[in-house]
Amino acid sequence: MNIELTDVTRTFGRNKAVDGVSLAVGPGVFGLLGPNGAGKTSLLRMLATVLPPSSGTVRLLGRDPARPAARTEIRRRLGYLPQNLGYYPAFTVAEFVEYFALLKEMPAGQVPRAVAAAIERVDLGPKAKSRLRTLSGGMLRRVGIAQAIVNEPELLLFDEPTAGLDPEQRVGFRALIRDLGRQATVVVSTHLVEDVGAACSEVGLMAEGKVVFRGAPDELIAQGAGSELGDSALERGYSAVLAASRKRVAA
Amino acid sequence: MNGPDDIDLNRVWVNVAAEIWRRQPGRAERTAARLLRSPGLARALVTTPSLLLPWLIATTIVFAVGALTQLGAGQPLVWLIAPAVAAVGIAYAYGPGLDPAWELSCSMPVSDRLVLLTRAAAVLGVNAGLGLIASAATLGTHVSTGTVQLTIGWLLPMTAACALALAVAVAVRSAIAGAGAGAGAWIILVLAHGAAGGPAGAGSGLSAAALSSVVADANLYLPYLAVAACGAAIVAFATRPQRGLL
Amino acid sequence: MDDDELIASLAGGDDTALRELFARHAPWLAARLRKALPPDDVEDVLQETFLAVWRNAKTYRPRGTPAAWLWVIARNQAALLLRKRGPAAIALLDEGPLAADPAESAAVRADLATAAAAALGPPGCPDREVWRLMYEEDRPVAEVAELMGVPEGTVKSRAHRARRLLRAALGGAR
Repeated sequence: MNIELTDVTRTFGRNKAVDGVSLAVGPGVFGLLGPNGAGKTSLLRMLATVLPPSSGTVRLLGRDPARPAARTEIRRRLGYLPQNLGYYPAFTVAEFVEYFALLKEMPAGQVPRAVAAAIERVDLGPKAKSRLRTLSGGMLRRVGIAQAIVNEPELLLFDEPTAGLDPEQRVGFRALIRDLGRQATVVVSTHLVEDVGAACSEVGLMAEGKVVFRGAPDELIAQGAGSELGDSALERGYSAVLAASRKRVAA
Repeated sequence: MNGPDDIDLNRVWVNVAAEIWRRQPGRAERTAARLLRSPGLARALVTTPSLLLPWLIATTIVFAVGALTQLGAGQPLVWLIAPAVAAVGIAYAYGPGLDPAWELSCSMPVSDRLVLLTRAAAVLGVNAGLGLIASAATLGTHVSTGTVQLTIGWLLPMTAACALALAVAVAVRSAIAGAGAGAGAWIILVLAHGAAGGPAGAGSGLSAAALSSVVADANLYLPYLAVAACGAAIVAFATRPQRGLL
Repeated sequence: MDDDELIASLAGGDDTALRELFARHAPWLAARLRKALPPDDVEDVLQETFLAVWRNAKTYRPRGTPAAWLWVIARNQAALLLRKRGPAAIALLDEGPLAADPAESAAVRADLATAAAAALGPPGCPDREVWRLMYEEDRPVAEVAELMGVPEGTVKSRAHRARRLLRAALGGAR
């Protein structure tokens, strides 16, 4: 189990962004769905060791991120693509990916090859020596994906990774995460239901800080049988589960 | 790419690309990597905005102009400008909120706090060094007031101004706010001290002696130290690990 | 862009041109090398070939023989690899898929000759003479020593220096 969360809560002032989440995730692709404000980003930040839980226990890759030495070890094996990445305009693609490869404390000898492999994997080979300020939004997103995968991480976290990617690139991204999910645990957080459907082995649905559904994509589809809300089977399941959870809260 | 079935042309290309895309670190970076025992920290250091060549050249010119003016007109200037210049440089050393890829930097094994500390120390060191060189070159003009104070006495206010600049920059997440706070506070202090006349008493006006007492006045040592300590504490708190992104 | 333009472009430092050249030529080079070498060796030779192309693109003169030029470089790299393995492996260079093709070699030698002229000095000076006799006319060391009236050791060290000068002029191989 690469992720073990036990009754994890995260509060900001009076707002409970994450409310008693317990989750155990092994290798494979885990899709984290939910509307904006459901707590997905806060959960992902806790997995990225950037945010500590307010209560509950977090174990990542078998280690406790509250302890500094273990946290550094986790971070060496982590790949993270935040929702708002930001970039250094004067850097080239290769320089940017290399910078974070070095900050991830990859052995210096392995860095050139890892950087080249990551850049080729996201299909940015022709742009390797181009400065980031000359790239489109979709390309910048792919640069972000490249830095996340450069150290061949065991735990990969993507927050809204397909923003700015055209349909063909999204297909490519799904193929990439399916491939990565063979060895690593890949968590993809998105509010675009179709994004994850085909690529995930498991999905979790968050609403108001709680995980209201967890299972295979087919099971989510089954939840939506008979519902009218949504253009695809997955969307119908998604809407049905959300509606049911809101009813529970109101009751 | 389609070659013979048992040849992986993609792997071959990646190996070629690795060689032609690789960056050869300069000597400064390699030395830093050895000293700091971290190639990542060294790379972060040499990409500090206020340590890049254009900035360094500008800083050197400012100090040179200050020294030459001092030599020419007898007006002490190096001690006056050093703290302000350093404060501006420190504010642009990058820290939380100033780093566009900040959220990502917070998840790195080489912690953002360590990067900031290393960069700030380097900027402070470089500015102090340049200031000392300019001071040494203008030793002859410090005849009237204590030589030691004017030559190195500005190191303490420089540290205080830098701590203030960094603390504001990190707390408000704006390099320009930090630069303004550090340089501005120093200028206000100098003018206020000069207007009060310093040890010669009120009314002696903005004479050179009055102004320069802001580095020579021993009563100010403790306040400078206090500002430096507070600034450092604020920075330490604002960069604590796992603070989230608030 | 045709191959000549690609090579000119990559001589100017354009890495995307090398990428395109690789996409066009690596497959058939791999197939041809595969007839004589095992897969791992083919990959190593291909890698060194395109790195050599990157470093030495300045010596290429457009004459419509880019494929031949590439093959000669690939063959040379294969030879370098095999020489490290010993005499038995070297035999692979005399016959079969890796044997030197006189026409191809002549074209490349002509290009090298022009580069040699610039790097080694005027005709008749020692480095140039050694280069001409040993590499352009393919004479063995003993014969060159006799023709030039110097000991074999001198011939070898002049050849070494000539290669070094040429390498430096062509942009530095590692």
